[in-house]
Order: sequence, then C-alpha cells, then structure tokens
Amino acid sequence: MKNRRDEKADVLQGTLILLVLRTLDALGPLHGYGIARRIEQISKDVLQLNQGTLYPALLRMEQEGWIASKWGASDKNRRARFYSITSAGRKRLAKETEDWKRMSSTIERFLGFDPESLAEEGG
Amino acid sequence: MSWISVASARVRGLFKHKLLERELDDEVRFHLQMQIDDNLNAGMNATEARYAALRSFGAVESMKENYRERRAFVLIETTAQDLRYAARTLRKSPGFTITAIAVLALAVGANTAMFSVLNTVLLRPLPYRSPEQLAMLWTEDATQNLREGRSALWDVEQWRNQSRSFADMATFDAVNTTLTGSDGVEEIVGASISPNLLPLLGVRPVLGRSFSIEEAEQQQRLVLISYRFWQARFGGSHDALSATLVLNGLPYQIVGILPADFQIARLDADVWEPHRSRQTVRGAETWFVVGRLRPTVTFDQARAEMSAVARRVNDQLPAAERNRDITVVPLSLYMVGPQSRLALWILSGAVFCLLLIAAANVTSLSLARSVARAREMAVRAALGASAGRIVRQLLTEGVLLAAVSGLIGTLLAVVAIRLIRAFGPGNLPRLNEISLDLRVLGWALTISILAGILVGLLPAIAALRRDLRPSGEEGGRNVSGGAVTRRIRRALVVADFALAIVLLAGAGLLVRSWWYVNSIDPGFRSERVLMMELSAPPTFSIPAQRTELYHRMLGTIQAVPGVENAGIIGDLFIANNREQVVTVERDGETVSARLQFVGDEVSADFFKAIGTPLLRGRFFSIWDGRDAPPVAIINDAMARRSWPGHNPVGRRFKLGPRDSDRPWYTVVGVVGDMRRQGLEREPFPQMFVSLAQSPPPRNVDLFIRTSSDDPMALAGAVRAAVRRVEKNAPIYGVEPLEQQFGTYLAQRRFLTSLLTGFSLVALLMAAVGIYGLIQYSIATRTREIGIRMAVGAQAGEIFRMILSEGLKLSLIGLMLGLLEALWLGQAGSSLLFGVTPSDPLTFIVVSLLLIAVAVAACCFPARRAMKIEPIVALRQG
Repeated sequence: MKNRRDEKADVLQGTLILLVLRTLDALGPLHGYGIARRIEQISKDVLQLNQGTLYPALLRMEQEGWIASKWGASDKNRRARFYSITSAGRKRLAKETEDWKRMSSTIERFLGFDPESLAEEGG
Repeated sequence: MSWISVASARVRGLFKHKLLERELDDEVRFHLQMQIDDNLNAGMNATEARYAALRSFGAVESMKENYRERRAFVLIETTAQDLRYAARTLRKSPGFTITAIAVLALAVGANTAMFSVLNTVLLRPLPYRSPEQLAMLWTEDATQNLREGRSALWDVEQWRNQSRSFADMATFDAVNTTLTGSDGVEEIVGASISPNLLPLLGVRPVLGRSFSIEEAEQQQRLVLISYRFWQARFGGSHDALSATLVLNGLPYQIVGILPADFQIARLDADVWEPHRSRQTVRGAETWFVVGRLRPTVTFDQARAEMSAVARRVNDQLPAAERNRDITVVPLSLYMVGPQSRLALWILSGAVFCLLLIAAANVTSLSLARSVARAREMAVRAALGASAGRIVRQLLTEGVLLAAVSGLIGTLLAVVAIRLIRAFGPGNLPRLNEISLDLRVLGWALTISILAGILVGLLPAIAALRRDLRPSGEEGGRNVSGGAVTRRIRRALVVADFALAIVLLAGAGLLVRSWWYVNSIDPGFRSERVLMMELSAPPTFSIPAQRTELYHRMLGTIQAVPGVENAGIIGDLFIANNREQVVTVERDGETVSARLQFVGDEVSADFFKAIGTPLLRGRFFSIWDGRDAPPVAIINDAMARRSWPGHNPVGRRFKLGPRDSDRPWYTVVGVVGDMRRQGLEREPFPQMFVSLAQSPPPRNVDLFIRTSSDDPMALAGAVRAAVRRVEKNAPIYGVEPLEQQFGTYLAQRRFLTSLLTGFSLVALLMAAVGIYGLIQYSIATRTREIGIRMAVGAQAGEIFRMILSEGLKLSLIGLMLGLLEALWLGQAGSSLLFGVTPSDPLTFIVVSLLLIAVAVAACCFPARRAMKIEPIVALRQG
C-alpha cells in the first residue's frame, strides 16, 4: 500500500526515533528544544536536523506510547512541555538499538570482505 | 504510561481542538525563544538571532500542518491498521473464523428475530392517539361465573353519565353481514360501532368522513369500509365514496375509508356501520366497551370508581343481574394477554441465553487461539507494542468478528421474520405488523457489539495476565502454559451447560404439556368434519318456522353425495359459562343445586355427525316431537354429578328451583363428555334438548361428517344445498372442525417448538464447547499423557482421566442449571399443562440427555488421547 516516498520517510523517522529515545533514556525528561540541541551537539556535522520535523515525530511517539509528556517550568521559568521515556519506549529503544547494531555490523562485514571471498561464501 | 492515558490523549485530540492548537503554538514559541536566547548569548544581534532561529527550525506552518494531520488521523489510522491486521489474522485461520461467525450469526439472528416479535407485539404502542389511556370495560358477575362479559348499551350510557374517570366510552362488536352483489349474496365481516368510536380512538378515515352522532341517531344507513375492502372491491378508486353497498338486503351509502390495518381489540371488519339499536331501552344485545381515561386518571382510580358505579347501576337492574361489577383492563393488556406475554418473554430469554452460550463458546475458542498466539503477542510486545495496543488489537478482532456476524445475523433475522409471519400462530395479535425497525436494528447492533467485546475482552485480559513475557516461552514447551486461560475456559463450559439445561428443562416441560394437551380426548372426532355457521333469515321469526327450515336444510345436505351425517347445535364452543340452579329427582326426592351448566338445542343426528359416543339410552328420534313429553340427553359429567352410581336414563330433572314453572325433562340418553371450552378446561354438566321440542336459536352451528379426507371439498356442494332450501340464509365461517383445534393449539405449538429448537441448539453449542476444551486440554497435555503411558498407565486409565475431567465440568453446570430451572419454572408455571414446574421425570430425562451429550463430546478426543504414542509425545515435548 505504501508508496516509495513514505518508505523513505519511515527510514528517516526511524533513525530520528532511535536518537530521541536514546537521548531521553540517557538524560531523563527534556523539552523539545533540549532534545534538538542534544542531538545536534552529538552529531552536529553528520546529521542535519531540521528542528521542526522533531515535533510531529514526538507526537507520533507519544501516540505509540513510547514517550509521555507533561507541561512544566523550564530553567528560566518559562512554560514548556517535557518529554520522558516510558517502559514501552525502553523496549522499543532496545529493539531499535539491536536492529541498528545488527544492520551496521552486517554492512561493515560486507564492506570489510573482498569481493572474491564474498563469492565463495555465497557458493 | 498506561494505554488508558494514550487513549485519553487521543480522545482529547478529537474534542479539545482549540486547547491543543494553543499548546502547539506555545511549544513552538518556546522552542524559538530558547534558540533566540542561545543565539543572543553566542553574540548575534537581535535580528540575526531571530532569523537564525527560524532558519534552523524550518517552515513553521508546514510543520504545524504535518503535526495537525498526524493528530487528527492517528485514531482513524491506527483503527484502520488494527482492522486490517485483524482481518488478516482471521483470514489466516479460516476454521476458527467460520465457526465463530456461524455460531454468533445464528445467535444474533435468533435474538434479532425474537426481539422484533417482542417489539411489535409488546413494546410498539397501539396505533391510536395516546393508546395508554385506552381501556376495555367489562361486565362481570362472579355469581354467574361471567368474566369479560359484554355490556348492554343502556348500561354503558349509565356508566358514562355516572363516571368521571373516563373522557368517553364507545361500543362495538362484529355483526353477521351479507353483501348482495351482481353475482349473488356473500358473507363478509361486518362491525357495528357507536359513532364516537373513531374520535375516541383518534382515528380518522383516510378518505371521506366518519358518521356523525346525529346521523347515527337518525338510523341513516351509512357505512365506512376498510382499506383492504376498498382496494379489493374498488381498486382504490375515489368512486367508492359515491357508491352504495347492499348489506343484509338494504342499501348503505359509503361515507369513508378507514386507514390500512385499522382494527380495534382484534375486530378486523370489512364494513363498519353505526349501531342500529338505541340505548334508551335496555335490550338483550350486548357490546364490547372501550373507554378513554381522562389524562391524569390512573387505572386503579378508574377501577375503584367503576366498581362504585356498578353498585349504583345494579339497583336499577332486574333481580337476577344485581351482582354485577365492572372491570377495567388496559387495552394493550387485553390485546396481548398475560399468557402470550409470558410466552414471548420466555422465548426472548431463551434466545438471549443462546447468545450468551454462543459468545461463551467463541470466547473459549479465541482464548485457545490466544494461547497459541502467545508467541506472536510476546514478539509484538518485544517490538515495543504497548499492552494497550495489544489489548486493542484483540478487542478489534472480537468486534470485527461480531460485526460480520451481526450483519449475517440480521440477514438471517429478516428471513426468520418472514417465516414467523407466515407460520406464526394466527391468534398472536399484530403478527402481520412484525418487521425490522430502527429499534430492532439498534438491538442487533447492541448485542453484536456486546458479543464482540466479550469475545475480545477475555483473551485480552488473559494476555495481560500472562505478563507478555518477551522470552516466547508461552508458545513453546511450557506445559503449564495458559493456566489462567484454562480456568476461564472451564468456567465458560460450566456456564454453557448451566444455561443449556435451563433451556432443555423448559422445553422438556413444554413438550410434556404439549403431549398431555394432545392426548386429551375432546369428546368428538373432528377429522373429516366440516363446520359452518348458519343464520335463519329475519323472516323466520316464529320458532316453529325455524325448526322446519333447519330440518329441511339437514335433509337436503344429507342427500349431497359424500355427506355421511349432518347435525345442528346452537353453539358448540362456549366462551363464557353460566351457573344455573338445576333440580333433579333422586331416590324419590327432589334435590336442587346450583352448578356450572349449559343446555343446547341439537338436531337428531348431531352426535353422529360430530362423533360423540352414546354411553347409555338412545339418541333423539322422530317420536320426540313437539307434542311428546319433553326429553333430554345429558353428558357423562352431569350423570356423575346428579345421579352418582345410578343409571340416569328414565329419571327426571328441570331447570330452576323445585317450584319453577319450567317443564320436567326425562333423560333418554347419556353421551360422552365434550371439551367445549377448549382442550385445557375440564368438561362440566351439560344437557341437550331436541330442536323439535324447544324454540331453536336464529344462529346455529352446522356440522357435516363427510367421507372425504378433505371436508372443504364438499363446502361448495353443501352451500348450494342450503341455498336451494333458502337462498337468503347466510353462511359464515366454513372450515374443517380440525382447524378450530389447530388455531387453538397454534400458540402452544409455536412456543413449544421454538423453545425446543433453541434448547437443542444450546445443547449442541454446549457440546461443541466442551469438545473444544477437552480437545485443547489433550493437545497441551500430550507430553504429560506420553509420560504417564511411558511409566505404565493403561489406555483405559487415560480415557477415564480425560472423561472425568469433562464430566466434572458438565455436572457442575448441570447442578447450577437445575437450581436455576427450578426457580424459573415457577415463573412460567401458568404455561404448563398436566405437569408441575418441578416435574421429576422431565428433569431426570433432560439431565441424562445432557450427560450423554457431554460424555459423547468428550469421548472423541479421549479416544484420540488413548492412541497417543509415548515416544512421539515425548519427542514432541
């Protein structure tokens, strides 16, 4: 049913989800800006995060039950929405992490072998 | 975060649109403000900081749009996802899906059909203005055993003038009516009504007008016709309004056409004319009375007032009628009596039980499936599906199943409703109105959704209780897997059996009653007998003329080929019985007693025609003429009552007290008892006198015993024979005598056969339920059984072990159900005949039947368990 554009969006969003879940798991409750800053700090040159796309992703994750949100006061005493990870979110994070590691190690193995031995393995 | 708060966030999304929009604005503004602050701290000027912040955020409006879309559609989207997923899973296990849908659709169909009957007959208001204010008023006299008696117009006029509870009262009854057309005289159903009847009911003619009170008083010959008659005779043409009908030989002007299906208190006539008699003189004619209560008056108030009115009116009545009372019965209650109501409620309860059993079975099946799917659930949980999402998924499956079943069930109900309309008992009122309406569809929807939730909820709860362990061990080798599930399934099987035994016991009691009612000897042989009502034309006003007319008619009819005997009686079937003082000569003295009693005029061959046996003495003969001493034939009940232990032939009795001026009758014969009040009423003392010796009534019942198995085949010839003697004598109600009993028994048969059918379906479902449970329990215990056999258990022991597991459950269900059946039996006892609600034989038989079915259902899987190869079983484990 899904068209190609959706598939591509899913992959991107999947990565974003992993990053957000990891951030919230490591740092505890954060507001949207905090999450965006953190992701940018760690991966500044590699990932070009369009900050606006963060919010629909956060909404979707909340709807899936992976994160929860609550309105509270920020450092400068402004009203802000704080997001935190749920237990379902931690399971999701574990699963995504595993998937990611498996995928990247597979890719690494592919890139590490020379073409001839790759042909032998396949035979 | 629980799934409840997820759900509530979504629901909030649907309703609190404005609040959510403001929150989104706030969040974006906060984000930008934070970025601007950071940019300022990094040394940018205010404008630069602002632009940089906006740049790194991206297009604000398109993001908001994205966000809103996600918020609005997520509910629909996830629901659609759940539905797609549910449909796919259900398609993957067609066996389960088809069974579940078939079982649920049957139950929903039966419930919907039954509810549509209940809805039409009991719940839908009668088609009059404010029908709840309408009441039937009856003349009653306990001393004469007169119940639901009709009333004289003069009496009704007194009631109306003296009571304040009623806004108005109207009278009506069927009258014998002939219609003279171009091709001769025919009999139609006519009604005579007081002119205020239609305004009282709030009914207006669809065309033309009603007759006014003045017109009625002037005895103008005006008539209203039924919609059906209008369609059949005039093709629905407006010309009908200027047409004239010749009724009973006199021309009547048609003034209006009544609405389709108009009837009042079971009277459904073709032509409706105003009363021809006046209420100024108290005549012998009596009428049905319907009244409309004033708006704030209750039925109890009206009853109290009418009793007081009755006492005042009694003073003006003849001495014999001074014990009269007036009863007030809501019209709706009169239309559908307490027995029919009870029968309908019982049937509705039965189909509801069926629905519960069906839902329990499907739940049990889907529980079994959910254990098999534990691995799937664990994987989904491991993938991050929240518990809420999984519960929702299972509920969606249940609701999808129920929705499909509900749809099929509703179609089944449409078919069932047609069948009920075609074959339902004719004496069930408003049967022809039965249809699907919004309320019925609402009911179908409600029970389908309830069933769906039930079917989905228990597996969901079981799934939650299993803790969704991610290891996948549930689906694997763990023998004790699904302990919760199995406990629930056992409880469901017990419930199945408890409900099934209640239905079976009810059906058993009704079957026994049916059997008793059918084995009753009515006192005559109704097969091959044709019955008709005959009226002497008004010109035969002298009794002797009528005697002579009836004799000539009987002579002509007897000459028709195929006719064996023909006989006449005043009125065979008795609606109301009266008590009378009878004086008999016994052992040289005369004894007077008041007893329930009727006397009728009969022709010489009446008993032969109807097949009632002569026990002693003789029938009437030509010697019992007008000038001979008065003779009588009595029935066995009177012989036993008045001359116990003696031969009554030759003895004398008379009506009234010892000193009355009535003649003494000599008993010449004793005939067998006839059940003339219906099969279920005991016969009471009766006497018969010869047509020749007493003035015969104007309306009589004519019985013709034929040599044909289809007596109706002779109807035309008999009718022609009557016409040859007197062409103006109307004939009504020509039908086989057997049909009289058929109509009478129809309602009992309807109730009995439906409840029997329902209970057998319930039994079948219970059997399938226990079969499924045992089968499943063996499947999960294959390894255990293998080990038992490996260490030396005999196949017989395994068989007994399996069987006792099933028997234990069915016996628990049986005990619970029997208690329930005993308790419910009391409530339905008025529908039973010849058996008590706790009839031991019925209870023993249905219990044995249930146990036998349970054993049979357990035997198949148990036999398979015996054949388990230990090696294979252990390897499997």
